[in-house]
Amino acid sequence: MLLTTAIFSGIALVLFFINKKENGKQVEGLKIGARQLWQTLPLILGAFILAGMIEVLIPVEFVKNWLSTEAGLKGIFLGTFGGMLLAMGPYAAFPIIASVLASGAGLGTVVSLITGWALLGLSKAPFESTFFGLKFFLYKSILSIPFCLAAGLAAHTLDLLLN
Amino acid sequence: MKKSLLVIAIASIILVLIAKLVGGSGLVLTGLEKAWSTAVQSFLMLVVSFMVIGQLHVLLTKEKLDKWLGKYSGIKGILISALAGGFFPGGPYIYYPFARTLADKGMPFYILIAFLFGKNIYDFSRIPMEASLVDPKVALIRLLITLLIPIISGLLAKRLFEHRSVEDDLAREGE
Repeated sequence: MLLTTAIFSGIALVLFFINKKENGKQVEGLKIGARQLWQTLPLILGAFILAGMIEVLIPVEFVKNWLSTEAGLKGIFLGTFGGMLLAMGPYAAFPIIASVLASGAGLGTVVSLITGWALLGLSKAPFESTFFGLKFFLYKSILSIPFCLAAGLAAHTLDLLLN
Repeated sequence: MKKSLLVIAIASIILVLIAKLVGGSGLVLTGLEKAWSTAVQSFLMLVVSFMVIGQLHVLLTKEKLDKWLGKYSGIKGILISALAGGFFPGGPYIYYPFARTLADKGMPFYILIAFLFGKNIYDFSRIPMEASLVDPKVALIRLLITLLIPIISGLLAKRLFEHRSVEDDLAREGE
């Protein structure tokens, strides 16, 4: 997180000087940024609360046990929706996915699980619906499901070919 | 924004009540602690990223964006946008406000879709973590298999929602 903050600080500084040179509106940019942060802060804080509650309400052990021995088409399907339920950041989600892999789940299950987590992960839902609307969130989720299933299916086929 | 805030507040209250019923006050507190910890950890990053958003707001005029889109529209725009998403740092509380700023400036819907799918699928800063915490072979296979997803999503969005804009959608939802 420190690295990301440092990267953004560098970008902000560069953009500040570009604006100073190009249009002299760098201070206006700072004011707009501050105003937008102020306006958005209640939403972001609300989304943090929502994401925190989603994270504690989803039984991670259940997802883990549910997927650990799954392979084949059923595994791909369950992996996609299991990924959606892993409402957490990569530091928490990847060790869980690793334990699902270690428990004997198929490659298709694991790939659909990672893709489902990346595209459908419920922790993103509060932010997605806040900034782009509920309809956008639903459309994006519906569009993402076939991609997760296809990714799982491709990995499963590859697994069959390799072994 | 007021409607979004209302929806978030209602959803939060419902989930808090469910947590209270399922696991008592302890579970509610754990959820709130997680939220507080994320808020504290990301506060500085939020301030800095909104400084970037503000500077971009004055830098990217409609004319500049139109010129850029004239040069990089279609498949080229989708590719660049998907890669930009992959390299874009930060969590959802950073890239969604950023993408919304671009949407407000008139960025086409399909370019935004490519950006968001690029961020979700590629996220190049996440790959070392995926390789080390899950498995390097699995991470590589996953990346190769999903490589085309942001491009296909962008193309699909271009074909299906060519004239759609996020502003119109939000207006229809009463924002």
